[in-house]
Amino acid sequence: MISYLVTVVILVAIAALVGLALNLQWGLAGLVNFGVAGFVALGAYTLAISAPHVGWLAGLALSAAVCAGLSMLLSLLTIRLEENYLAIVTIGFAEIVRILLLNLGDLTGGALGIADIPRPFAGVTPAGWGDAVILAFALGLVVIVFAFSEALVRSPFGRALRAVRDDATAAAALGKPVLALRVRAFAIGGAIMGLAGALHAFFLTYIDPSQFTPIITAYAFMAVIAGGRGSNLGLVLGAGSIMLILEATRFLKDVIPGVDGVQLSALRLGMIGVGIVLLLILRPEGLVSEPKRRFADFFPPESEKA
Amino acid sequence: MALQLFINGLVTGLLLALPALALTLVFGILRFANFAVGAFLTLGAYAAYTANVVLGLPLPIAAAVAAATVALASLIADALVFERLRMRGSITLLVASMGVSLVVENICRFIFGNAARSFDLAVARPIRWNGLRINHEQLITAGVVVIALVLLHLLITASPLGRAMRAVADNASLAAVRGVERRTIARITFALTGALIGLAGVLAGLDRAIDPLMGWNYQIPIFAAAILGGLGSPIGAVAGALLIGVAEEMSALILPVSFRQIVSFGVILLLLLFRANGLFGAKAIRK
Amino acid sequence: MSARPCDPKAEELSLALAVSGLRAGYGRGGDIVCGIDLAQKAESIVAVIGPNGSGKSSFIKTIAGLVPTRAGTVAVTGRDITTLSPARRVASGLAYVPQEANIFATLTIAENLKLATEFLRGRAGVGPEQREKVLDLFPELRLRPRTLAGNLSGGQRQMLAFACALLANPEVLLLDEPSAGLSPKIVGETMEAVVRVREAGVTVLLVEQNVAAALGIADEVVVLVAGRLTLRASAADIRQADLAGLFFGKAA
Repeated sequence: MISYLVTVVILVAIAALVGLALNLQWGLAGLVNFGVAGFVALGAYTLAISAPHVGWLAGLALSAAVCAGLSMLLSLLTIRLEENYLAIVTIGFAEIVRILLLNLGDLTGGALGIADIPRPFAGVTPAGWGDAVILAFALGLVVIVFAFSEALVRSPFGRALRAVRDDATAAAALGKPVLALRVRAFAIGGAIMGLAGALHAFFLTYIDPSQFTPIITAYAFMAVIAGGRGSNLGLVLGAGSIMLILEATRFLKDVIPGVDGVQLSALRLGMIGVGIVLLLILRPEGLVSEPKRRFADFFPPESEKA
Repeated sequence: MALQLFINGLVTGLLLALPALALTLVFGILRFANFAVGAFLTLGAYAAYTANVVLGLPLPIAAAVAAATVALASLIADALVFERLRMRGSITLLVASMGVSLVVENICRFIFGNAARSFDLAVARPIRWNGLRINHEQLITAGVVVIALVLLHLLITASPLGRAMRAVADNASLAAVRGVERRTIARITFALTGALIGLAGVLAGLDRAIDPLMGWNYQIPIFAAAILGGLGSPIGAVAGALLIGVAEEMSALILPVSFRQIVSFGVILLLLLFRANGLFGAKAIRK
Repeated sequence: MSARPCDPKAEELSLALAVSGLRAGYGRGGDIVCGIDLAQKAESIVAVIGPNGSGKSSFIKTIAGLVPTRAGTVAVTGRDITTLSPARRVASGLAYVPQEANIFATLTIAENLKLATEFLRGRAGVGPEQREKVLDLFPELRLRPRTLAGNLSGGQRQMLAFACALLANPEVLLLDEPSAGLSPKIVGETMEAVVRVREAGVTVLLVEQNVAAALGIADEVVVLVAGRLTLRASAADIRQADLAGLFFGKAA
């Protein structure tokens, strides 16, 4: 039971990290990333491949750096185009990552994946304390990333990002370097997703491509929508409650007779879809709304003017 | 070998043309990329499977059932979701379409499970000619898509409805003051594109096994085709689909088959690097 | 001179266009049109002038139904159209020519003309006769029906836009700055076209930045400042010299 609770808390922590990252990219900077699962997978694999050689800390840094670099490239490609293009490119990126993981067997182990991933502080952990250490590590990571995100939101960089999101033209007219701001935000978000992937690999010590389905992306969007775009606190609450609800639905099988495993997972995933749509329609501001007033209240979007 | 791959590629491209066209038509009118295209394609395949295998109807009738089912599903998605979010901008619509995609895909999974299924179809001997091999499914696909494209071309270029669709895509508020209700045109567009996607689902089911992720696997090539043609340009989408189909199949000459799907993504990246408006000169879609 | 509030009830039936207490704005912002009353006699030309940002364009868009009405009513030939969609307003006899993008650039001239009427079910007098009448007013549109409208010059576009609006056989024609972006010679031709339109029996409400051009053809002038009407007078009574003061509200 204790180890099950630890599992749940660590899953919440991973979801919270992914959510914080997406919140920075989409909530704060207005950049849609449909390839979240790909970045998480990339982070996990970078860690799994590098950590045995360079140690867990350097591996962690490398995960963040690789994901940041690729995020930057993808956003640079599409940053001058409509939102739709970044969404398409990122979704394609995630597919490519999945295909490469499956097919570059020498490096990634193909469908079998990689086992025996070293955990942080593995050498100095007393026997039987493994779960406690990884739990502390996960919570520590969330606290650090949360504090960083909060500081970012309140910084001039965060304010500029919000301005750019709400009205890129007006922000450009005010002299904000719009493109650079967006690329940077997307890269930082990518780095955090890499960290989340690394945590995933640390925790399971075994990874394979089937662990990184587009569902991760759907959860992250659900968390950001539920938590309220741009609000980090709301996000952590959102991610937490979604993971708890999802975990609770595992027990539905005992309650609803005649539903098999596949149907149950279909029900859960379908509910995520319904949740995303319903929250978008009914609670556009999320459960905890962003404190600051928005540009858009003063400058209506083109579609309303026409 | 190369010629065989080229022909296979043309057929694949024709199959992609219908959903790519659907994507681009909806984009023209509502200004968002509908990520539920793949899931609706899956729905079409399962609708035809139900009619064909469960109810024992012949495949052409099953195809009509699939087209009608997906058209109806698109109308429902529009009424319940997209219309309500229309004023909130394309990012919100994008994310909502992802939600719709999850719902549709998992309705299929809930009813039919993850097992691969196929239509009840007599296996026919392929036609051989000069070392080329063309099977009946390919002929059916080519014939159905070409007829659909010709009809659609006539509809778009020569009918009042087509004019109205192009007018709304060009300038929605001007269309409104010329007496064209955007709402009506959007509904008709959703129904029409739904039927196209449903039909594509049936053709895809002829080509490969039907499972809940089937449409998802077409998603990237569909988007690549639409971007290649310039989002919003119908002719461009068809040409883009043919190019993507041929590029994917011909890539077998230089790449292992498992890397085939990378081709579409590579095309998207190259295009964005060098010619973001698509090959066919649609209006720039910049911010 | 002072703003003259109209009495819509008494005059309603003889009026082509009756606007009363009209308020409108965008999104969650404040009112941009702040309670406007306007009564316009049939077959007259009324010009709306005023400084930049005074809400002229929003006013005319609200009448056309493109900006949501918050309060007040709009009636065309005595029929209340306030709750109708823009498309239904056209079918009720109200045509509108926007300032920019007033033709479908990706459609041909012939397609633009066809589209102007084919979705106006229930509008009387929309047929081949009207088409001939309108094309007689703008003969050059007959010449190259298959040309993409996007390839036309500014003046030609304006003519096509007028023609499309008139094909709906409107009682009232709303024009939003028809002279914008045109050379002085073309402005003259455009204003002549507006006069011809009125002679064909159409009531014209004209928003215009080019005050001299507007005064040249209008019967009446109303001045709009900060979303309110500050003056209404016959065009003959107004000298341009007065206007500078009016625009800044001195005589309001």
